[in-house]
Amino acid sequence: MHIRSPKDWQLPENAATPEHDYRLRPRTEDSPRRDFLKRLALGAAGAALVPPSLRAATFGFPDHANPEYHDPALKPTAYELITSYNNFYEFGTGKADPKPNANDGWKTEPWTVEIGGLCRNPMKLEVNDLIRKIGGIEQRVYRFRCVEAWSMVIPWDGFPLAKLVTLADPTADAKFIQFTTVFDPNDIPGQRSDILDWPYLEGLRMDEARNELAFIATGIYGRAIPNQNGAPLRLVTPWKYGFKGAKSLVKIEFVSRQPRNTWYVMAPDEYGFYANVNPHVDHPRWSQASERVIGAGGFFGSHQPTLMFNGYEKQVAAMYKGMDLRKYF
Amino acid sequence: MTLLAKLIRSKIVAWIAIVLPGLWPAWPFFVRQDPSALADPLKFILHHLGFVACILLVTVLSFTPLRVLFPKSPVVQALNRHRRLVGVSAAVYALLHFATHLIYEGGTDPKAIPSILHTAVTKPFQLVGLIALAILLVLAVTSLHVFVRWLGGKNWKNLHRLAYVAAPLVAYHQALARKVFPPQVLWIFVPLAVLEVLRIITERSRAAARRKAVPAAANAVAAAIPGRGDASVPQHQ
Repeated sequence: MHIRSPKDWQLPENAATPEHDYRLRPRTEDSPRRDFLKRLALGAAGAALVPPSLRAATFGFPDHANPEYHDPALKPTAYELITSYNNFYEFGTGKADPKPNANDGWKTEPWTVEIGGLCRNPMKLEVNDLIRKIGGIEQRVYRFRCVEAWSMVIPWDGFPLAKLVTLADPTADAKFIQFTTVFDPNDIPGQRSDILDWPYLEGLRMDEARNELAFIATGIYGRAIPNQNGAPLRLVTPWKYGFKGAKSLVKIEFVSRQPRNTWYVMAPDEYGFYANVNPHVDHPRWSQASERVIGAGGFFGSHQPTLMFNGYEKQVAAMYKGMDLRKYF
Repeated sequence: MTLLAKLIRSKIVAWIAIVLPGLWPAWPFFVRQDPSALADPLKFILHHLGFVACILLVTVLSFTPLRVLFPKSPVVQALNRHRRLVGVSAAVYALLHFATHLIYEGGTDPKAIPSILHTAVTKPFQLVGLIALAILLVLAVTSLHVFVRWLGGKNWKNLHRLAYVAAPLVAYHQALARKVFPPQVLWIFVPLAVLEVLRIITERSRAAARRKAVPAAANAVAAAIPGRGDASVPQHQ
């Protein structure tokens, strides 16, 4: 009798992408692009390019949509736009730069991440092992608001940051959590010039890190997160401006002092540590009262008022009670 | 060289060189169909129009220093024929840039304009751009012959020296238009600054040479005319 033992790199049949979805996969430039343009021409803002039901394996992990974070009123931005209009200064300062530059020899697989600092269970492990330890991934649809006054709606796949915090088991001295993006000037062209203070650093207060909304993304629209969006691990804090979402994480540390996040170091009067979305506190150079909705409204585009804490007031406002949000912007 | 000068002299060539950059967004929108440009087409247009306005302003300001440095060059002479056209188009691009900003921030609803203007005057980055725009518009309107006659040559010239105020304001505005310093500000405005420095040095050394030459010549004339002394040495300008 012949017994076939599958190699560990072989995916089970049911994990393979269905043919219809395969035709819509991001790397086939033709059909999704035409589809996207057709939608743009028709001005149909709704129906995203890829149906949210699409579940191509993200690292082969079972993924399920978390209904608590699937507000039917939110219309996800097209996959093509989420993955083509990026701020990732490690790969160029233009929105179009990261897509080509982050897919030109920079390897995000395999990937090791270190979890350490003031915690009882420090570890250094491969990203897939981390997801396995966390217990899989889920999908959440979040608003995304950039400090540059534009917004998207993104179906992220990943896991709550709180689960990672529990796993690492921080000590009582841990007051903040610090995120470090990879530093590799050989393969990351933007890091060869010091436009920002590399490596990119971000941080959260411990209560923010434990908030139910704080999320580590490993995918978008049910697929592995593309390099230009911060593969393979990226912080997502939907009530804060997008720059808080450090990408391509190599180190997550529990620390006692407030981290000096990169944009704060760059321009402390313009970008704070908290970076909470707040329509009442302007950026020194532009208003934050409203935002451009990416991919909506056809040629002239579309505007909408910005919501306090980007619409997540209910979940996060209590953390900032009594704080002067003009001072701690 | 003469062929190049002939080409540059042509009004049609000048118009094409000015209008074509404004149509550039058609390339990423319709030909390349670049999703990052199509994500927010108006933003792409907004930045592009401002960029072209910067280039045209620097171009027209470079004409005078070039003429001082290379007075005999047919190319420079040909460029100087288009001073008004290039200057006015810088103002027109700046105005289109501002109009795009109004639509970008407030859509087509005119009721949104007061609050956009309020924001504009309270943010130094935007206010500086607005002042530069006002200067360029005043200069564009007064570039009509009627105003040259109405103001008189000297006043008109002094008024139009405001272009030298507009240039650093525009450089500041462009430098702050991005989250990090955009290096194109340097390659647009540094060459102009270098040209201006060279122009000032050249003009001064020429004036000094003339000061030396003119009294010597006058003395020679005075000596040749009997009964006339040094007292009548004419004042040179």
